Amino acid sequence: MFRISVTVCGRGISKRLASSFSGEDALPSNLRIPSNLVDRARAERPPPPSDSSLPVLRRCDAAVPVHLSPVQTWVETLERRDSKQLGLVDLHPDVFAVPTRIDILHEVELWQRNFKRISRAHTKVRSEVRGGGKKPWRQKGSGKARHGSIRSPIWRGGGVSHGPRGPTSFYYMLPMRVRVQGLKIALSSKLAQDYLHVVDTLNIPTPDPQYLMDLIRYRHWGESVLIVDVGEELPENILQATESLKTVNVIPAIGLNVHSMLKHEVLVLTLEAVKFLENKLLWHDERFTLLYPFKLPYTDLP
Amino acid sequence: MSLLRGLLKAGVSLCHSTLQTTRQISTGVCCLVRMNAIPELKKVDRWTEKRSMFGVYDNIGILGDFKAHPKDLIVGPVWVKGFRGNELQRLTRKKRMVGDRMMTQDKHDMEKRIRFLYRHFNRFGKHR
Repeated sequence: MFRISVTVCGRGISKRLASSFSGEDALPSNLRIPSNLVDRARAERPPPPSDSSLPVLRRCDAAVPVHLSPVQTWVETLERRDSKQLGLVDLHPDVFAVPTRIDILHEVELWQRNFKRISRAHTKVRSEVRGGGKKPWRQKGSGKARHGSIRSPIWRGGGVSHGPRGPTSFYYMLPMRVRVQGLKIALSSKLAQDYLHVVDTLNIPTPDPQYLMDLIRYRHWGESVLIVDVGEELPENILQATESLKTVNVIPAIGLNVHSMLKHEVLVLTLEAVKFLENKLLWHDERFTLLYPFKLPYTDLP
Repeated sequence: MSLLRGLLKAGVSLCHSTLQTTRQISTGVCCLVRMNAIPELKKVDRWTEKRSMFGVYDNIGILGDFKAHPKDLIVGPVWVKGFRGNELQRLTRKKRMVGDRMMTQDKHDMEKRIRFLYRHFNRFGKHR
């Protein structure tokens, strides 16, 4: 132990010597990012040229508030590995440029983990354990401690007094607006951190999973990709390609949720998915409060 | 000048560090950390089907026109799906929903437990 501390002190001395010789140019140790956390590939990804005039393929359907302006991002294709951007798309700021609240994301993530949880841990109480109705020996005179049953909690093989009891559920619901806000914040943070890509359609030339991996690595998207499309029938090629891949997954737009967005590094939306999400998530900003559950018919709901 | 300053700083830091280094002392109590008994970390695959698809369809109400509720997704016993309660509430709900289908011994144990919990919550302790 002392030998280790001597070598550590030695290394520390040499580090301090080096930093003091180099002068005051080197960053202090608390501001340096360790090399395994810096993604060189993404940092070297060349941004598309800002001079070229790309057409705006989609404007926002809903009215954008006067004090905000739509956020823009490029539209790409999955047809060829090295194709260029097709155009720009306007994204509504109340869905894709919401101020980031990590506490709401945390709440929604915990809700997703816990509301489905049913713990099936179960222990038997002293009355449920088989046996133990008879008094083992007489109360007085045997020289042993007094007991009433062989299944009391202090006995070996006896019941558990305060153990888990039966299937327990941890169900609760967060308010609808909190869950909606969580989705909006997740989408905004993906866009802000450069992990959101918009694609026109999901048509791929081949159902080969290697093509998708090549494309993702060539474009330096990231490690894990979540692809979202609207509609029940997704193109067969992409379904076949992602079937064997673990970190690339396709889900319909109804299945979008904060946990999957946090688990996968990159989010890929189609233009229809963007329209669908904006439509669904903006409605909650200007709706009346619930009188009765939305399941039951309302005359004015779509 | 900057070179001199650097050298002075180096000298000062060396003096400080040499004063703080420890001598090598051994009292014969080595090998306190048993390196051969540390278990290996278990290898967990973070991208199985279940883990990568966890949470999908949780927002089926908001994004799917409110035709379904997330509590319909829960897999488990009928009396506990979309319901949260303490043990007495769960057992009485189980008796109402599933009691006539239960086996005799289980039903008898459950009724005894309900009786015990009712008395425990309503007659003893600070909160009645």
